[in-house]
Amino acid sequence: MIEVHDVRKGFGAVQALGGVTFTAQDGQITALLGPNGAGKTTLLRTLVGLLRRDHGTISIGGVDPEKDPMAVRRNIGFLTDQFGLYERLTTREYLNYFGELNGMDGGALRTRIGEVSDLLGMDDILERQTKGFSQGQRIKVALARTLLHRPRHLLLDEPSRGLDVMSTRALRTALNALRADGCCVIMATHVMQEVIHLCEDVIVIAKGHTVAQGSPQELCRRTGIADLEDAFVSLVGTEEGIA
Amino acid sequence: MKSKIRVVFLKELRETLREKRTIGFLALMVLFYPLLIGFTLHQLIDKSTRTEREGLHLTVIGAAKAPTLVAQLRERNVTVNESGPMTPEAIGELLHGKKIAAVLRLSDDFTDNYQAMRPARIELWFDSSAESGPQRRELDEILQAYSSNIASARLLAHGVSPVTLAPIQLQRYDTGTNASRSAMMIGGLIGFLFFPAFILCMSSAVDSTAGERERRSLEVLMAQPAHSWELVGGKWLASAALALVGVTVVLILGHAILKWLPLEEIGMAWNLGWGGLLLVCLATAPLALLASAMYVAMAMNAKTFKEAQTLVSMVMLLPLIPGMVVSFMDLKTAQWMYLVPMLSNQTLIKELAKSGDIGALPFVLTFLCALVPALLIAAFASWRMKSEKYVLGV
Repeated sequence: MIEVHDVRKGFGAVQALGGVTFTAQDGQITALLGPNGAGKTTLLRTLVGLLRRDHGTISIGGVDPEKDPMAVRRNIGFLTDQFGLYERLTTREYLNYFGELNGMDGGALRTRIGEVSDLLGMDDILERQTKGFSQGQRIKVALARTLLHRPRHLLLDEPSRGLDVMSTRALRTALNALRADGCCVIMATHVMQEVIHLCEDVIVIAKGHTVAQGSPQELCRRTGIADLEDAFVSLVGTEEGIA
Repeated sequence: MKSKIRVVFLKELRETLREKRTIGFLALMVLFYPLLIGFTLHQLIDKSTRTEREGLHLTVIGAAKAPTLVAQLRERNVTVNESGPMTPEAIGELLHGKKIAAVLRLSDDFTDNYQAMRPARIELWFDSSAESGPQRRELDEILQAYSSNIASARLLAHGVSPVTLAPIQLQRYDTGTNASRSAMMIGGLIGFLFFPAFILCMSSAVDSTAGERERRSLEVLMAQPAHSWELVGGKWLASAALALVGVTVVLILGHAILKWLPLEEIGMAWNLGWGGLLLVCLATAPLALLASAMYVAMAMNAKTFKEAQTLVSMVMLLPLIPGMVVSFMDLKTAQWMYLVPMLSNQTLIKELAKSGDIGALPFVLTFLCALVPALLIAAFASWRMKSEKYVLGV
C-alpha cells in the first residue's frame, strides 16, 4: 500500500508539488492522470527517495523512503520515462545486472529471468545485444527489469507507449497477474482506454495538486460527464497539455 | 550475495571491454610508447658508437700524387680506397651510397704546383645531407695538420722557426660528458612511462558517467537499492582497473627494453632490478586510482557527453606540468617532489635508475600522495551523486 499525505516539493521559486494526497491499495491498479508538467515525474522520484519532500508524509508498505530508501527501493519496480539500455550488453546481461543490484543471484535469478521473459514474450531478444532495439523492445526489456525482483509496489510511467498490439496484450496480462498477486501498481498514462479497462482507481493531479481520486465511474459521476476523457479535462480545468 | 560495488564494477568492465575499437586503441597506446622509447634510444646509441666501430672510409682520386698524405690518413685509422679519375656524377653517386664519408680529388697539376710551392688544390667532395658531420670534422683536422706540417718544413728550410706561424696556442676542454647530455633526455623519456595511467581510464570513466546520463539510463540505476558510493565506487574502480593494467604493462615493457639496451655506451645506467620495478608498480597503483577518480568526478558533473570529453582531455595534460617545470628549471631532486602525484613517480624511477637504493620513504610518499586525493575525490563524487541537484540534472 502506498500512502501519500500532503506532499509538497519546491525547486527555488517553482512549486512542483503543492500538496499531493492519495492512497493506492494493494491488489489494485491505480492510474495516475495528469497533463504534462503536472508533477508526475517529481512525484515518482520522491516516492523512490531520489528527491526529498519539503512537507508531508509518504509510506510505502509502511516504510518512509526518506528514512530507509534502500528498503523501499528493494520493494519497488520503477519504470520511468527514461529507459536507456546498455547497448553493448545483451538483454540477459542487462537483467542480470539489475537482478544482482537487487540482491538476486545464481539459479534463482536465471529462473526468474526465464519467467519474466515468458510473461512478456521476449525470448527472441534475450540473447541479443540491445543495440538497435525498437521502442517496443526497449520497453519490454525495461518492464522485465521492473518485474524481475518481484516488487510489491510498481511505479510505471507510461508503460504501454510504443508497444504493438501483441505486446500491449502481454503487458495487460502481466499487470493482471500482478494485481492477482496483490501488488500495488501505480501507472501514469495518457490512454483513457487503458484506464477504463485496467484500473480500479484513478488519481488526477494538475499543477502539483491532487484534484480528485476515485474509480473511473465515480469520476464520471462526480463531474456529471459520461466520457472519462471529458471528465478528466473538466477536472484538470483546462484543455492544455493533454498528450 | 555479491557486493553491489562488485556488481557495478564487473558490469562496467564487461561493457568497456566489449567495445573492440576502444580496446584496440588502448592496446596500441600501451605498446607504442615503450617501443618508441626503445627505438629512440637504440638509434642514439647506434649513432654515437658508429664512428669508433666502423672508422672512417675515404676514396682518394689520384692518390699516387700525394703518398705522404695517404700515409698520414692511414696512420689516423682512415680506410683509404684509391681510385682512378671520376666524373662529378660518379662521385655524387658514390657519396649517395653513404658507405664513404667523403671523396678527396687531387687536381691534375697537384704535383707541379706542390713542387713549385704554389697552393696545390685538393677537392673535398661530401654530401651534407648525410649524417657524417663528426667524421668530416675529423677529416678536416687531418688535412689541416698535413698542410701545416708541410708549411713548417718549408719555413725551416728557409731558416724561419715554424713557431712564428702559431702566435696563439688554443687548447679545448669539453666538460660535457655523454652521461650528463643524455641524462636530461632520458629523464624526460621515462617520465612518460606513467602517462598511460591518465589515458587508459578516460573513455570508460566518461562513458560510465556522462555517457550513461546522455543515454538516459542513469535515473533507473540511481533508483536501485544501491548506495551512491557503491555505484560511483564500481564505476571508478572499473576505469581505474584499465589504467592500472595499462600502466603496469608499460612499466614492465619499458623496463625490459631499457635493461636490454646497452645504455652504458652512451654513459647512462639503468640500475633498476625486477624487484625494484615491482615496488615502483605498487607505488604507481594509486596514480591510476587518482586519474580515474578525477575523470569520474568531472565527467559526472559535465552537462553533456561532449563537454565531459573536452574537460577530461584538458585535465589529462595537467599531471605532465610539474615534471616539465622541474625539467626546464633543472631542479635538483628534493623531498617535496615525492608529494606531487606523477612528479613523485617520475622522480622515484629516475632516482632508482641512477642509484638503486633510496630507502622506503619515497615509495610510501609516492603511494600516499596519489591515494589520499583519489579517495577524497571519489568520496566527493558519491556525495555529489546523492545530491538533489544532480538528480534533477539526470
